[in-house]
Amino acid sequence: MWDERFSRRSLLKSTGAVGLLALVAPARVQALIEEVARSGADGRFLTAAELDTLRAVTARFVPGPPDDSDPGALEARCAEAIDLLLGAFEVHPPLIHAGGPFSKRAGGRRDDFAHFVALDRHAALGWRIRLEGSRGIKKREFAGPVRGLQQIYREGLAHLDARAGGNFAALPGAAQDALLHDTTDARIQELVGTALEHTLEAMYGPPEYGGNHKLVGWSYTRWPGDRQPRGFTDREVSEPG
Amino acid sequence: MARRDSVIIVGSGAGGSVAAWQLVRAGHDVLILEKGRNLLPGLGAHGRIGSRFGNDEVKAERFFENQDPLLEPRTARTQDEAGRGLDRSFTGDVNDLPTIVGGGTVHWDAKVPRFWRQDFKGLSLHGPVPGANVADWPLTYEELEPLYDAVERRLGVQGDRARMPAATLAQAPRRHGFAMSPNPPMYGGSLLAKGAESLGFHPYPFPQAVNSRRFDGRPRCNSCGYCSGFGCPINARGGAAVSFLHHALRAGARLRSRCFVHRIDLSRDGRRAIGVSYLDRHGRRRHERADVVIVAASAIETARLLLLSATPKHPGGLGNRSGQLGRNLMFHHFTQAAAFFSEEVHAYRGPSTTVTIDDFVGPDFGDAANAAGLPYLKGGICEVGGTLTLLAEAKAYAGIGGVWGRAHKDLMRSGTVRNHVAGISMIGEDLPQLANRVDLDPAIRDVYGFPVPRITYSPHVHELAASAYYQPKLEAICQAAPGATSGLAFDTDAPAPGALPSTRHIMGTARMGASADSSVVDGFGRVHEIEGLVIADGSVFASSGGFNPTLTIMALALRAARHLG
Repeated sequence: MWDERFSRRSLLKSTGAVGLLALVAPARVQALIEEVARSGADGRFLTAAELDTLRAVTARFVPGPPDDSDPGALEARCAEAIDLLLGAFEVHPPLIHAGGPFSKRAGGRRDDFAHFVALDRHAALGWRIRLEGSRGIKKREFAGPVRGLQQIYREGLAHLDARAGGNFAALPGAAQDALLHDTTDARIQELVGTALEHTLEAMYGPPEYGGNHKLVGWSYTRWPGDRQPRGFTDREVSEPG
Repeated sequence: MARRDSVIIVGSGAGGSVAAWQLVRAGHDVLILEKGRNLLPGLGAHGRIGSRFGNDEVKAERFFENQDPLLEPRTARTQDEAGRGLDRSFTGDVNDLPTIVGGGTVHWDAKVPRFWRQDFKGLSLHGPVPGANVADWPLTYEELEPLYDAVERRLGVQGDRARMPAATLAQAPRRHGFAMSPNPPMYGGSLLAKGAESLGFHPYPFPQAVNSRRFDGRPRCNSCGYCSGFGCPINARGGAAVSFLHHALRAGARLRSRCFVHRIDLSRDGRRAIGVSYLDRHGRRRHERADVVIVAASAIETARLLLLSATPKHPGGLGNRSGQLGRNLMFHHFTQAAAFFSEEVHAYRGPSTTVTIDDFVGPDFGDAANAAGLPYLKGGICEVGGTLTLLAEAKAYAGIGGVWGRAHKDLMRSGTVRNHVAGISMIGEDLPQLANRVDLDPAIRDVYGFPVPRITYSPHVHELAASAYYQPKLEAICQAAPGATSGLAFDTDAPAPGALPSTRHIMGTARMGASADSSVVDGFGRVHEIEGLVIADGSVFASSGGFNPTLTIMALALRAARHLG
């Protein structure tokens, strides 16, 4: 399945459809997400159906309305952020390391975070291996074969749907939890371990990575987020409150 | 100076940058080869130094500054596993440090305590410890003191000598005060300091290379809170890159990044270093000649390079007649304590911590030591008053029993750790052991095609007994803090399957000593029996002390460089 997907992307690239996306300025990551956030659209890497399953998984990790009064992973767009990571190399520079030193949230003049840092050849190889896997390519297998995150998500989500009788997202919440907690199923646990970490990063990390939409993850936690260049005043550091 | 030598320095971190700064000012021709890339725009130029770092917890975990363990894995096993013939039980990130221009100090929180007099004479003062390889250093505190002074002056260190305990100043005398007054004290740390004082302990402002005023063209720290483990967005911290390398480059030193040195080249008779072999940024094999080679790649990589450089005349690696190369690997053994407060103590605001307590450095010769069959117990200096940032907190809850869902969200909403905890980290001394070592993994290779370093490590019973002994004292401080509802302490580095010490303090794999029979280098970092080869990083430590090691690495590197003339 992965190979099919890869071929399709290559085909699209050659016809220019995805090529245009690669020219989109990284400062417009949010616009890319808007496009995908509408259910029914394919993501940068995941299909629309895979995204729906992943949305359901992330919503169990960080529940939102109606199960919880505060926004959760759906509202924060965690699944869309994970999809952006999986398809990081479709934009240049790849969406791996946000820029610095400042965003505009604490006194910076422009959002440096939105200008992602280019990877050099060495770093790019590491991230290609991490995302795409070693896929039998000799220069990627110097320390043995590596399963990529794309593979872990694609196969894990398919397996989860299969275990759910076809559509994980359609199960009631309690049944979804029971499946995600099935510690006898190593394939589910591989997906849970990976997706939980990425969901938390998307929920509570800077919004430039595509998650934490409208800063919901920093709202109910009352987290000040990135503080530069303002910082904290002496009084805020040393006094109560 | 009498002559102009060409010097190659391997590594641009704490040791390498200080050596470069000293040698280029002495008129030598200095070339620094660094395996990582440069993330500090303007470094070595005449304008302001920039930063690509931000208050970004995601980037920090995506190997922005650290080496990528998929490209450069390390392997690990315990002493017991090694005894059973197991090649490795873990492959991945083993105490990886930033692999970039500036090394580990690019994301340190710049705590710079000095080692104490007793740290250099452990064997003669306190005797041997069964199962440990305790030794004296071939130098004294008095010899290092002026070097500490010089390094501190360049780094820009804040502190308050008047508030340092008499016992500390007796062990680590200071002729000079600090360049800057302390940062605004962090609130949670102040509460813990009050608790400690009520029990008769002696908290004081932690000496740190953080600007409390504009210094060396860099701004004052604004207490943003993303400190330990984060590159500084405004370069308010001193460090190898901004305090030393920057000035070395401006004085004419040359820096080549993304160059991986895989061999130290020797003269035909094997008695002299004549240069290095390396892969450049394009992966091309290169050779560079020099009169002197200084290795400062940090304790794991330095040992690996000396082992990779083995020749028929040096079959066990360079400088290894003693068999000590790669051995005596030391980490620090961390013990953690947490005070819980009903009010919000916002311990995430500030440079990780502003208070220290060194009442637990030891040695303690009491019953607890006897009961463990040891002559003494030693703890370490404490970082007082820190907590977790938001994503770190989220991952900590998820890591404990795999909590997620509503329970996880409730914890995040209340910010139990982030808002209501101020913690203490004790940096426990780790005794050297022959069996704790770095060698070359027999099968795993890195992206460059070379055998990766393999770490064999288990704590000595001393570290476990010392942690158990000091935990109740740390707990008592937490409980005595005004407003604290409870306090608890735990051994962060207790042996667990697949777990290695959490710290990135790495020392001891090429220990210094007076004799080539029992050490790898002399008191000036010169590798025994090989001319023109010097080590200038934490590898040379003969003991780990109970202190953050970087200031001492820098002082030793300065000593080594000055000795070269």
